[in-house]
Amino acid sequence: GMSSTAMKKKVLLMGKSGSGKTSMRSIIFANYIARDTRRLGATIDVEHSHVRFLGNLVLNLWDCGGQDTFMENYFTSQRDNIFRNVEVLIYVFDVESRELEKDMHYYQSCLEAILQNSPDAKVFCLVHKMDLVQEDQRDLIFKEREEDLRRLSRPLACTCFRTSIWDETLYKAWSSIVYQLIPNVQQLETNLRNFAQIIEADEVLLFERATFLVISHYQCKEQRDAHRFEKISNIIKQFKLSCSKLAASFQSMEVRNSNFAAFIDVFTSNTYVMVIMSDPSIPSAATLINIRNARKHFEKLERLDGPKHSLTMRMR
Amino acid sequence: MEGDSKPLLDPVCRGSYTDKGSTDSLDRGARRPFHVEHRNIVENEPSERVSAEASVLSSRVHYYSRLTASSDRLLSPPDHVIPCQEELYVYSPLGMAFKVTGGDGGAKNPSIITIFAIWNTMMGTSILSIPWGIKQAGFTLGIVLLISMGLLTLYCCLRVLKSPKSIRKTISTYIDTSDWEFPDVCKYYFGKFGQWSSLVFSMVSLIGAMVVYWVLMSNFLFNTGKFIYSKILYNYKLYKLIDMVCLFPNTRLPPPVICPFPDTGDHRGNSGISGLYLNTNNYGNDTSDTAVFDRWWSKTNTIPFYLIILLLPLLNFRSASFFARFTFLGTISVVYLIILVTLKAIRLGFHLEFHWLETTQFYVPEFRLLFPQLTGVLTLAFFIHNCIITLMKSNKHQENNVRDLSVAYLLVGLTYLYVGVLIFSAFPSPPLSKDCIEPNFLDNFPSSDVLVFVARTCLLFQMTTVYPLLGYLVRVQMMSQVFGKHYPSFFHVFTLNIFIVGTGVCMAKYYPNIGSIIRYSGATCGLALVFVFPSLVHMISQKRRGELSWPSAIFHSLLIVLGVANVAGQFFM
Repeated sequence: GMSSTAMKKKVLLMGKSGSGKTSMRSIIFANYIARDTRRLGATIDVEHSHVRFLGNLVLNLWDCGGQDTFMENYFTSQRDNIFRNVEVLIYVFDVESRELEKDMHYYQSCLEAILQNSPDAKVFCLVHKMDLVQEDQRDLIFKEREEDLRRLSRPLACTCFRTSIWDETLYKAWSSIVYQLIPNVQQLETNLRNFAQIIEADEVLLFERATFLVISHYQCKEQRDAHRFEKISNIIKQFKLSCSKLAASFQSMEVRNSNFAAFIDVFTSNTYVMVIMSDPSIPSAATLINIRNARKHFEKLERLDGPKHSLTMRMR
Repeated sequence: MEGDSKPLLDPVCRGSYTDKGSTDSLDRGARRPFHVEHRNIVENEPSERVSAEASVLSSRVHYYSRLTASSDRLLSPPDHVIPCQEELYVYSPLGMAFKVTGGDGGAKNPSIITIFAIWNTMMGTSILSIPWGIKQAGFTLGIVLLISMGLLTLYCCLRVLKSPKSIRKTISTYIDTSDWEFPDVCKYYFGKFGQWSSLVFSMVSLIGAMVVYWVLMSNFLFNTGKFIYSKILYNYKLYKLIDMVCLFPNTRLPPPVICPFPDTGDHRGNSGISGLYLNTNNYGNDTSDTAVFDRWWSKTNTIPFYLIILLLPLLNFRSASFFARFTFLGTISVVYLIILVTLKAIRLGFHLEFHWLETTQFYVPEFRLLFPQLTGVLTLAFFIHNCIITLMKSNKHQENNVRDLSVAYLLVGLTYLYVGVLIFSAFPSPPLSKDCIEPNFLDNFPSSDVLVFVARTCLLFQMTTVYPLLGYLVRVQMMSQVFGKHYPSFFHVFTLNIFIVGTGVCMAKYYPNIGSIIRYSGATCGLALVFVFPSLVHMISQKRRGELSWPSAIFHSLLIVLGVANVAGQFFM
């Protein structure tokens, strides 16, 4: 089939100007934020978005409901184009915003456009900048917002998360979103567990390729650090940034000492895998062969559900 | 990785509206230390000496710093996100952990230092007008008013001090008010109007102070010059022995206290006893020498202009930190004034008679209708509301702020009371009327008085160093509000300085009555920054929290009415 830019499936990241979308994208996708983007006001981002996500999804960032009349007009005139072929809508709300009515109004108009153009899209709402709310008030405020959003979103179903770039909530929210977007993720998880048990790994993690968000994991014993996923993600993304400066790309990594060995490698077209072995006597080669064989198996799994995905792509 | 060699600290100076000219203070956020991750992964130590949150935050900050340019603060951790002091450790390479102690970069002073700093800042030139103010209100009423105004302004000052904290309590979102000053609080509650009006009123107090300074500096420079000239003239004349008898036939020693303007407004009925009133410009019968000198060295005609040559260049300096070193001169001057007042009181003795409501030839009634003039002066005398938050921030034990502020006000009030009561009581009333007390009480002493000459010189020197500081404050606040930068261009700053200096010169020439200048500017700026805004802010924040009770609302509305009455009283009395 034909695929032009207009035909690619999209993930829309929308929200009011200044709600934190550019920072969020930069953090999740490890993009460098050039200083000037902040000064330009509205983020005019659509055509320049090269971020690929889950293999074939393209991330588009839109400022919705800013004061910029030029942006407003462009937005309204391009509405159908923007909202066609949308797989996911992620709408960001600034918890500090003083114009709740206005925010909800813009959100609703986006939902209308979604209903018209991509009724099967999944909708996620992020209540962002929660670190600015006092700790004892956070749950209360989030619950309030969630109820309002659920009510406003009918008949579409929206999933709400509270996020902040300064705690683990951002990472967890995006991990949940990605989890829901992976086709047949439960099957992947079962197979992952089997794989881990066969190769006698301490822990096996499955990452999304572009963002290193942990999709699924298996561990055979209690681990001490609850934040280890985010930390690994940050470390690898920093490494990717360094690699990109040298026009190199990151493929795989092995870390070994007398107590453990860790392997990070490409897995399927959408994922990376990290295997941690605490038995240092098992040679690296053995583990690497195991990973390679597992890869073939998992790719078949993905392809099973894959045709449905690519079929729908061809038919639009 | 190359990220390890980049510094974790971001040495950026953050200029903000509240940055009142301390241009060498670095942003405290940039200096904040970070803990080093415990990298000992060989042993399975169960005791983690850092919390998991601090550890993952460190990882985040490390990563985020790679995403922006080093000078970009977009992804810098805000204050409320950094773990508190108790959770920060520094790890040495050998594996030992040290807890981070000490303040967060700002100096923490014990209470005594804070109290002294407040006393020092509040002690201004209004101390010279307190005796006159007491005279205008009447002795008893004057003392009562001094104590009441002190208490009132102290209460309003406490309201100002507590206003940023109550912001954090009113709404659920956390705004970082740690470097806010009172104008920022006004901006938060009243928007642009609050920001601009608090700026305007702050300017009134600053420019009013600068005008008073110009008048006083002209006065002191004049008297200093006069003293030096008369000493030279006397020594010169001494050589002409023959002339001595002829020249000084009727000379007496100048009286210890004089009434410089016996025939003007307040001093009706005193012109009968003319013998004791010496014209300060006439020391001998030799008119030709002194006439030339008097023409070129005149308090109102020439000296204000000579000062331009000295002070206008100083105002154009880019930074005022040089002048900030001389604040100790102010303390010395005040202490010297107190000693001077004590010595004079001992020498002159007490002259008090209580006539409650009637005016007599030498005394004033105890209760007078001119009392608003005293309240106007006192509003400026007790004014520190535009910088109290900054001053108290460096107090080591913040919980003692209320106590320390009260003690500072008490000391300031006692100083004013001491000077005012002593001068008023010691003013020699049988030959002179109490009505003669001048708005600048040093004017009541002849230029030949040595002790007073020293006081005038000290004050002259001190004012020369404070004047550029005040000019700098005016410039910074006005320029950053209007143009967004502290120093838009030389011409902008020069124009502003010309305007300020011009106002000072005009006042010194045509209306050198510092009592009036102080009371008008005091009452005006006090209206906004002492009475109205603090009360309004307090009532609004109480209302938002649902704690506004009727007694509180009535009391604070009464304060606002008092503030307005204070200003009205200046014009009608």
